[in-house]
Amino acid sequence: MPMMNAKQYEDSLRKLKLKVYMFGKRVENVVDDPIIRPSMNAVAATYEFAHMPEYEDLMTATSHITGKKINRFTHIHQSVDDLVKKSKMGRLLGSLTGCCFQRCVGMDAMNALSMTTFDIDREYGTEYNKRFLKFMEYVQENDLTCDGAMTDPKGDRSKAPHQQADPDMFMRVVEERPDGIVVRGAKCHQTGAVNSHEIIIMPTISMREEDRDYAISFALPADAEGIIYIMGRQSCDTRKLEKGTIDRGNQIYGGHEALVVFDDVFVPWERVFMYKEWDFAGQLVEQFASYHRQSYACKAGVGDVLIGATQCIAEYNGAHKASHVKDKIIEMNHLNETLFCGSIACAAEGHREPSGTYYVNTLLANVCKQNVTRFPYEIARLAQDIAGGLMVTLPSEDDLRSPEVGKWLDKYYRGSTDVSTETRMRMLRLIENITMGTAAVGYLTESMHGAGSPQAQRIMISRQVNMDVKKKVAKKLCGIEGA
Amino acid sequence: MKKIRSIGLKYCGGCNPRYDRAEAVRRIREELGGTVRFAPPDDPDVDSILAIMGCETACADLNAFSGKKIWIITSRKEADNWVAERKKAL
Repeated sequence: MPMMNAKQYEDSLRKLKLKVYMFGKRVENVVDDPIIRPSMNAVAATYEFAHMPEYEDLMTATSHITGKKINRFTHIHQSVDDLVKKSKMGRLLGSLTGCCFQRCVGMDAMNALSMTTFDIDREYGTEYNKRFLKFMEYVQENDLTCDGAMTDPKGDRSKAPHQQADPDMFMRVVEERPDGIVVRGAKCHQTGAVNSHEIIIMPTISMREEDRDYAISFALPADAEGIIYIMGRQSCDTRKLEKGTIDRGNQIYGGHEALVVFDDVFVPWERVFMYKEWDFAGQLVEQFASYHRQSYACKAGVGDVLIGATQCIAEYNGAHKASHVKDKIIEMNHLNETLFCGSIACAAEGHREPSGTYYVNTLLANVCKQNVTRFPYEIARLAQDIAGGLMVTLPSEDDLRSPEVGKWLDKYYRGSTDVSTETRMRMLRLIENITMGTAAVGYLTESMHGAGSPQAQRIMISRQVNMDVKKKVAKKLCGIEGA
Repeated sequence: MKKIRSIGLKYCGGCNPRYDRAEAVRRIREELGGTVRFAPPDDPDVDSILAIMGCETACADLNAFSGKKIWIITSRKEADNWVAERKKAL
């Protein structure tokens, strides 16, 4: 089955025996849980759109392993065009779902590992790349969703992994066996974790020799024995349990994050892609992070939805002809397209690595993500400015439906006379959803911290710009001798 | 009786389209109904391709269709013009 559709994907998830906890209780039916379900719908969309002629040019690719048509989320980039199409796919999906669709992180992990495993083999004569390509073929042939898991709890940030008071603050090997290894630790903030078939583990920071037990990378089925998922809360999440649907904002899609605990989990050798090669941990982190910083083209897609919603509410409020409203919407578009520029630029300036995988321009990928840590907040601020305070003082859908007070809401919360109060409420709830509700996790805070917090990009930018050349030209142009 | 021409329909991925591509195709189908049959682009019976691109970048990969007649549409206006040309050619 080289490419699943949405139904096949959903059916495949039902076969997993995940151990998921939420609100202190085990979730027995993960796929149908009303809080988790919208996030499953968003991943399912990545399968469905791959079968639609109007999207397939971005959503599919040709496998370099088998030559078959595959979902782009399981592809190893083979050209600059592949990198550009990845950026475009992210924007497309964000613009169709209005949320995080979760599947990019696994794609980025796989592409980073395709390079790092190759480079470790060249240095040490190991066989990680062969193992990894076998895993990739399995992923492609079964069209799997993979969680790329990097972020460890990290404990005391001033201490290296081996110096932590609790040695489990970074994922580590606790036992080596003839047939594999046993690992212990946790990965935080795992986007789409319970919608994934496989989980790919990577180290979270550069390491020294003393940290070698922590320099590990591997992949496991998401329901492997000993893996436990604890769902993260999102602002307004329990609105999904209410009878009405208006107050959810986004009626169809959503995202999720989870803490994933590895309670002494066995990993067979054929699934181990890095084992104590501490000197390659930093490279893997940097390569994954750079790809993932490119992936934030998706926020331009979510921005498309928010801008559309803002234009609508301006019209519903009768304010759309005001010059300052028009100007603010222009500013939102300007910021949004600037986000897209960064992702396209780092892809268009990509290059071929020795493994054959194409890799983004890392300076531009960091610039892209640095913009993403800021611009969605400004776009959200402008959306809230135009939407008005009603977005946060609006009574509930139950009040609108109430035989006692519904008529008052309908009367006093009508804006433009040709738009119903319910229509206006729906649009306000969507803006609320993206700027401060469940989708704000993806649109705002994930934009801030996902793929590395702002300072991580600033460090990379400072390392990668060629300051000597800039200084030399400046000196030459102002006549300083010896430049 | 005139033979109905089969044309392969190929879209770009639609990341940031400047017009509604699906709506443009719907209008084309409506205008040319009964004179053209649109098929998947890899259909062996098609000898020509109508490529619906969301913007002038026109990034869809058309390499697989070399040797075939390819029309590229990048705007609603171009879609209308193409329909007018097809009607004239009938």
